[in-house]
Amino acid sequence: MVIIRRSVKYPESTDSYRIGQRPRVKVSIADYGVGNLHSIRKALELAGARPVVESNMRNLLDAEAIVFPGVGAFDAAMAKLDPYRDIILDRLKAGTPCLCICIGAQILFEGSEEGEMPGLGLIKGRVVRLPAKRVPHMGWNEVQSDDRLFEGVPSRYFYFAHSYCARPEEDVVKGVTDYEGEFPSMVRKKNVIGVQFHPEKSSRSGGVFLRNYVKHLEEKL
Amino acid sequence: MLTKRIIPCLDVTDGRVVKGVKFENLEGVGYPPDLARRYEEQGADEVVFLDITASSDARRTLLESVERTAEKLFVPLTVGGGIRSVDDMRSALKAGADKVSINSAAVASPELIGDCAREFGKQCVVVAIDAKKEGDRWIVYTHGGRRRTELDAVAWAAEAEDRGAGEILLTSMDADGTTNGYDIGLTAAVADAVDIPVIASGGCGGPEHMYEVFEQTGASAALAASIFHYGTWTVAQVKEYLKDRGVLVR
Repeated sequence: MVIIRRSVKYPESTDSYRIGQRPRVKVSIADYGVGNLHSIRKALELAGARPVVESNMRNLLDAEAIVFPGVGAFDAAMAKLDPYRDIILDRLKAGTPCLCICIGAQILFEGSEEGEMPGLGLIKGRVVRLPAKRVPHMGWNEVQSDDRLFEGVPSRYFYFAHSYCARPEEDVVKGVTDYEGEFPSMVRKKNVIGVQFHPEKSSRSGGVFLRNYVKHLEEKL
Repeated sequence: MLTKRIIPCLDVTDGRVVKGVKFENLEGVGYPPDLARRYEEQGADEVVFLDITASSDARRTLLESVERTAEKLFVPLTVGGGIRSVDDMRSALKAGADKVSINSAAVASPELIGDCAREFGKQCVVVAIDAKKEGDRWIVYTHGGRRRTELDAVAWAAEAEDRGAGEILLTSMDADGTTNGYDIGLTAAVADAVDIPVIASGGCGGPEHMYEVFEQTGASAALAASIFHYGTWTVAQVKEYLKDRGVLVR
């Protein structure tokens, strides 16, 4: 008698697909830059989401949640996004949850001293050069915020690497950081959250922050 | 306030982390992904991964090893060694590097600094400088310390900044491997000459040397290898020491 053994294949990240468990929240990472989407992807995965890197911005149309990651320069980012400006703004205004990191947060504003292209203009105000002596602001600095996304973080220090910061002209600031003066390190307008720091590079604190964000998505979606 | 950074350095050759004295007599101490992970757990603020054979043997950075290291790391990773072009830098970033350091190639063609900064943003362009004292100044060496140039290290650092570098990784070849402390004169001179962050490197034998370099120079970060590799000190112990003396660390 021949016994055929079939190996049972589970999809990757088996646990979230088991019966009785809800599927992971799909998060579309907009690939509009050059560099390293690797860390944000694996950080979101560890935080319990199902990240998908999206290099075709049209696919953002049916995204459940969007992350604009933080690499590159302002004009380089906007050059990629500008043709899809309407699609993106439409989704953001329709309430698609969106987490914007570093340059991803800066493009939410009307423009930047770093470049010439107009930003998305979702938030009133511009992005200016950090008024500090030693720029880039590079390293670990404290975020003062009472936002729920910081609940349970082992430390308030997060990793920054930037030369510009936002000057919002509406009431969106949810966190500030001191670097030779305070600048906004977290902004929030309804469903859109912008952070100047890199949660995906901020070790355990960043992990807790992203886990909180994914939980927040799970509640919403 | 911005904290001072403590950065363990992985000098990698043939996929292994090694530690040599004065750029010679290399000795194996472990594998990059394991060490990087251990240092993050200890509280390292970043990790630097240098392929130390790449430049001299004209080989590209060991991208596979970088990938495996980045896979498990949630603090910034700087990769250097053998980066000669914008494409090399792109490959390193794609493999998981957050910043890329260029050394010999930047000296050979300084416009590479600006090209990389425009393409990827200056915050991921690190210019690494190996310098050796001659009289009352410091001369830049390339190719892993084997080739002397005519460049003055302080002037070269300032030029690198003008061209778009986001950070300087400054190694004293005189101090490297001695465990007698950083080259305070060199570090102070370069940190005063530029406004971008400077990482002091070479010569660290213990937390007292980090304290010294933070107290006496404008360095933003201190890099060390052997004290961490040999387990003489953990990153956490070093930070405790610095905290007790009023240095702001994470």
